[in-house]
Amino acid sequence: MRMDTVIMGGGLSGLTCGIALAKRGQRVTIVAGGQSTLMFNGGSMELLGNIDGQDVTNPLQAITTLPQNHPYSKIGANRIAEIADEAKQLLADAGINMAGDATANHWRITPMGIAKPAWLTLSENLRIDDLNQLPAKRVALMCIRGYFDQPNGMLAQGLRDLGFDVQAIEFTTDDITSLRRSPSEMRATSLAKHLVSNNALQRVADQINSLAGDADMVLLPSVLGQTDDNDIVTLQRLCNKPLRLVATLPPAVAGMRMQTLLRHYFKMLGGNYLTGDSAIGGNFEGDKLLNVTTAKLADMPLRANNFVLATGSFVSRGLAANYERVYEPVFDLDVDADADREKWTRFGVLEPQAYSRYGVATDDNLCCLKQGKTIGNLYAIGSILSGHDAIKMGDGTGVSMLTALAVARNILCGK
Amino acid sequence: MADSMQLCNLSENNFEQCTKCSICTTVCPVAAVTTDYPGPKQAGPDGERYRMKDPAYFDKALKLCLNCKRCEVACPSGVHIADIIQRARMKATMGHRASLRDTMLANTDLLGTVANLVAPVANAALGLKPTKLVMHSVMAIDKNRTFPAYSRQKFTTWFKRHAAKAQDAYPNHVSYFHGCYVNYNFPKLGQDLVKLMNAMGYGVHLLEKEQCCGVALIANGLYKQAMRQARVNTASIRQAVGTKGHTVLTTSSSCTFNLRDEYPAMLEIENSDIRDGISLATRFIYNLVDEEKVKLIFKQDYKRRIAYHTACHMQRMGWQLYSIELLRMIPGLDLQVLEQECCGISGTYGFKKENYERSQAIGSILFKHIENARVEAVATDCETCKWQIEMSTGLPVENPISILADALDVEATRRANSAGD
Amino acid sequence: MIIVGGGATGAGTARDCALRGLSVLLVERNDYSTGATGRNHGLMHSGARYAVTDGESASECISENMILRRIARHCVEETDGLFITLPEDDLQYQQTFVEACQRAGIRADVIDPAEARRIEPAVNPDLIGAVRVPDASIDPFRLTVANLLDARLHGAETLNYHEVEGLIINQQRVEGVKLLNKQDGSHVEVRGRVVVNAAGIWGQRIAQQAGVNISMFPARGALLIFGHRVNNMVINRCRRPANADILVPDDTVCVIGTTSDRIPIETVDDMRVTREEVDVLLKEGIKIAPSLATTRIIRAYAGVRPLVASDDDPSGRSISRGIVCLDHAKRDGLEGFITITGGKMMTYRLMGEIATNAVCAKLGNTAPCVTANQPLPGSEEGAPSQSDMTKRYSFGQRAAIGRHGSLAARIEKDNDIDNALVCECEGVTVGEIKYAVHQLHVHNLVNLRRRTRVGMGTCQGKLCSCRAASLMGEFRHDVKGAQEDLAAFLDERWKGMRPVAWGDTLREAQLTAAIYEGLCGLDKAVNLQGKEDVQ
Repeated sequence: MRMDTVIMGGGLSGLTCGIALAKRGQRVTIVAGGQSTLMFNGGSMELLGNIDGQDVTNPLQAITTLPQNHPYSKIGANRIAEIADEAKQLLADAGINMAGDATANHWRITPMGIAKPAWLTLSENLRIDDLNQLPAKRVALMCIRGYFDQPNGMLAQGLRDLGFDVQAIEFTTDDITSLRRSPSEMRATSLAKHLVSNNALQRVADQINSLAGDADMVLLPSVLGQTDDNDIVTLQRLCNKPLRLVATLPPAVAGMRMQTLLRHYFKMLGGNYLTGDSAIGGNFEGDKLLNVTTAKLADMPLRANNFVLATGSFVSRGLAANYERVYEPVFDLDVDADADREKWTRFGVLEPQAYSRYGVATDDNLCCLKQGKTIGNLYAIGSILSGHDAIKMGDGTGVSMLTALAVARNILCGK
Repeated sequence: MADSMQLCNLSENNFEQCTKCSICTTVCPVAAVTTDYPGPKQAGPDGERYRMKDPAYFDKALKLCLNCKRCEVACPSGVHIADIIQRARMKATMGHRASLRDTMLANTDLLGTVANLVAPVANAALGLKPTKLVMHSVMAIDKNRTFPAYSRQKFTTWFKRHAAKAQDAYPNHVSYFHGCYVNYNFPKLGQDLVKLMNAMGYGVHLLEKEQCCGVALIANGLYKQAMRQARVNTASIRQAVGTKGHTVLTTSSSCTFNLRDEYPAMLEIENSDIRDGISLATRFIYNLVDEEKVKLIFKQDYKRRIAYHTACHMQRMGWQLYSIELLRMIPGLDLQVLEQECCGISGTYGFKKENYERSQAIGSILFKHIENARVEAVATDCETCKWQIEMSTGLPVENPISILADALDVEATRRANSAGD
Repeated sequence: MIIVGGGATGAGTARDCALRGLSVLLVERNDYSTGATGRNHGLMHSGARYAVTDGESASECISENMILRRIARHCVEETDGLFITLPEDDLQYQQTFVEACQRAGIRADVIDPAEARRIEPAVNPDLIGAVRVPDASIDPFRLTVANLLDARLHGAETLNYHEVEGLIINQQRVEGVKLLNKQDGSHVEVRGRVVVNAAGIWGQRIAQQAGVNISMFPARGALLIFGHRVNNMVINRCRRPANADILVPDDTVCVIGTTSDRIPIETVDDMRVTREEVDVLLKEGIKIAPSLATTRIIRAYAGVRPLVASDDDPSGRSISRGIVCLDHAKRDGLEGFITITGGKMMTYRLMGEIATNAVCAKLGNTAPCVTANQPLPGSEEGAPSQSDMTKRYSFGQRAAIGRHGSLAARIEKDNDIDNALVCECEGVTVGEIKYAVHQLHVHNLVNLRRRTRVGMGTCQGKLCSCRAASLMGEFRHDVKGAQEDLAAFLDERWKGMRPVAWGDTLREAQLTAAIYEGLCGLDKAVNLQGKEDVQ
């Protein structure tokens, strides 16, 4: 099967790249080995949140200070603004409505009530542009009885520390109570499957309307809107106060929706999305990759002009580590990682961990290297790239989207 | 030995690779409709650690698992979650006697042989209200369920009488594992395959000996019988693949998945030497076209709007691409690819009284998608999905092979493929 | 009387003393069973391991082994054990071993290697000899808690997080202890007629505070925990005791160990496992069960054996682990002070009995010891065993019965919320957490883990630690502390994961970081630096 581009990895970076290419008429196949880490995303994108322990206020400006090996530096700090706009537009085109500004981080509210800098946040989620000007004073925090993936105490305390006047209100409905009969399956995503009918939403709204008292704003855990935001809009309409959602522990409904909408958009543009399959190797000729073999289509190597590796970091199995070394498991590409196992990690769970900066080595065009040689038609994007730290720098989703778009541009202009 | 120390983490069904991310729970169609089922994570990797400690930790609710494998497709860690669950069921129920109902449902070929002999009577009887009520109350087969109609003539009978002789004359050859559905219920699909393959210059041959693949036997706990039949089939396939050099084609995604993947995973039947020789027909044909070994020429006046439903096991194999790409080659076909959802039937599961409601609840999402697609028919590679969708939506459901055969300009294709020989 | 130390020995002594009618206070500076008690194999020795080198210990072990099967059923899993001879070992030793076992009264059946492979498929198939012995596995956390519960039932008081700052000594007589309450920083003095030093390796410091000198001999041992049980019987090497020669199936996991190194007494609080220890454990472990080479390691930990330097053997191995009970009145002329040490977790009850005898002798109490016959709470006569109960209850309820025996009846399970799972790996329900917090002296998540197995599964607390922290905050009415507790718990989990952070364990760690730091921002709210490790 011959494609213009084959993308390995169907998460945020793979889909972003696939959409950008398919939109320009390319024939694209994405090989997606299982669901991606978007499932842990509460509904925000981060461009750059933190440098050396300091929160970043203007990410575009801060990006100019990053070291040369950071993926943003490879894209070129001067191109970031334009590509960031393109990313925001792409999300909107896919039906993901997010608000935010690349020159001024806002604050997203985490499931524990902690404010973290963010670039874009889903419009239904609680976000704060200025910590001195809260969007509401009195908030009613609606806590779902028997739902344990929202640490309500911590969340309420965190909101209070930010200056909100918080009233935590426990509630339930028949639908929610019957779901709790399962000892294990009362997750945000299971609630989202049950809170879909107008009746079920009305019952939630009735509770909110009768319990929220004199609050200016109602907060609800993000347990609505698995495939689109219709249920959220409906509930907002049924409530007589402004309603905002707060991210929960994963699997996250917002992330699941973003993944679904991006995949739909990609397929709508004619892309092939191979679910539950993964690249297991490929054939190289000189400095070119000729084709990729997948686990399920064993006798049909996928041929293409360009290949994009978007398989993620360790958690997504884009990178692997064993007793002896850190490596890239599909092609055994060159990686930027310490050889000595002792250096991968350090004691202190909240300390910066070296492994989170590991990734495949790339040149300035984000082309991969194998045994020191550049593979001209094999690019890497997203979390598999070295030189950034999604956890400590708050740059994971931004790197995913922006490197995806930068590589799409490189491919389209034949770089 | 020290050299291979900890270079990989392997365990049976990869269950140790589970990072407890819980993504599998978001795609489980059963957990979505009932709180009685603990979900794939709990039933699979979580429960397995306790069952290893003491088999008494087996939970009867595991029988609610459809074995649709959607959890495995979603798993970012490559854990064979459904296999873990099925193996646990197997270990816990090995040696138990299956009920008459389950035995009857599971023995699709036995039921078929009898039914073929008395097809008109059987069809009428299975459709009659009193019969249905008896089945509902005595046999615990749901009264709302429409039984697939039985054909008067078995596919194999037709083949021997009308097709077998001509097959040797073709330059290329394949074998065909027709399965119970084609043989007893719907010989037309087998006939369509023969028509299609012949037009491409391929002779079609039956296996020396074919028995039901046993997918229903496994699902209903008749493991020993499943193993016996699997051994017979594996031997026949080995002969076709090894001795004759044929690829063994199938037209059912469930049979294919069972023959290739469940035989080793569930029944511990070694088939690695012939696994690659078993192929769904659409995959085989697509590859021939892709490699430009054959050409397909379609009728000019063919015009239909069809939605393609990816059967769960088809998705697990990752082969929907072949069927979809082949159908897309038909110029007059407006193909809508549906978002993958489980139809809820899962072989014999939905036939059982106790599962009927759950089965329909699971399928409701898919039925809604089909309704929204505004199509005249649905295409799918699985026969049990076909029954479920036909019963629940009223739309006809066809195998992609039948659609291809229908749309094919047989003469033109024959000419195009014989020119080079 | 006052007992210093909340390990198995202290708990066993408290129980014995309380059952004999004494008025008892037990104090522990951290949580119960944080020392050597909770940092070993969880192996209920048959004594076979010591048969050749230390007949006395071996006899003690088999006798206590049989007692624990009766009185602590819910803490014991009767697995039996194998002593295997590998091609590199001397098969002659097997004979010596079997004879020594017989002398000590330990059943030791020589079985065919093929039979060994059949009954324990995980065993190294190359074995050339095997002996079956009545080894078993035991949960030291449960055992300690059961002893404490029984002590309390009989009037004892027990305090964790109370550290002895000094002893009250008056005219060559110990009259009590000065305590620091580590929870609130307050100081308190408690008086008693006898103080028993059951502080394990830390007993040397307690003795120093009394002005007497005990020379402890800290022998550190590291162990590795694998993600699931590869074996269902204890597997030992049939040779003189050496590194990593025992593999024990413990609950849902299995544990290989140990290394053995003499360490300076100053370092006994540093329990971080080194790379070298991991390497040795793996290299030797795969000789016992080759599948360990490809089984995920979920964590590493180390403990210090509290041996008393009775002679100067430098190897640390041939020293008798015999029980040492010192009456300091006789030894040092200091009245009202007894040290009980040496021994092993396995013989905690006997140590308790010996110490209590010494106390009773001082106090003129003549009540007999009944701890060998009276079952511990949770293991009463007729109490349901795990296997009878498994068919009727939910996964969480079954797991709780496995952990608490008949005490599981105290766990609320009448509504759906109490039955909801917090820790999905280990089947810990909201009800069980409530029970632990209210009745088992739980102050933080690490305590909760020791009582319930929260966060002990392969994910080491991925989603459950947040759920549990939140619930604890609610039950304990302390929301502010919940985030710090959560971070401290994750840190403690990481301490064990870090030495083995490759493969799936590294993936697991990255996902946990993505959730708690990336998604939740816990690192912005909590600063762990400079926090004392009091877990």
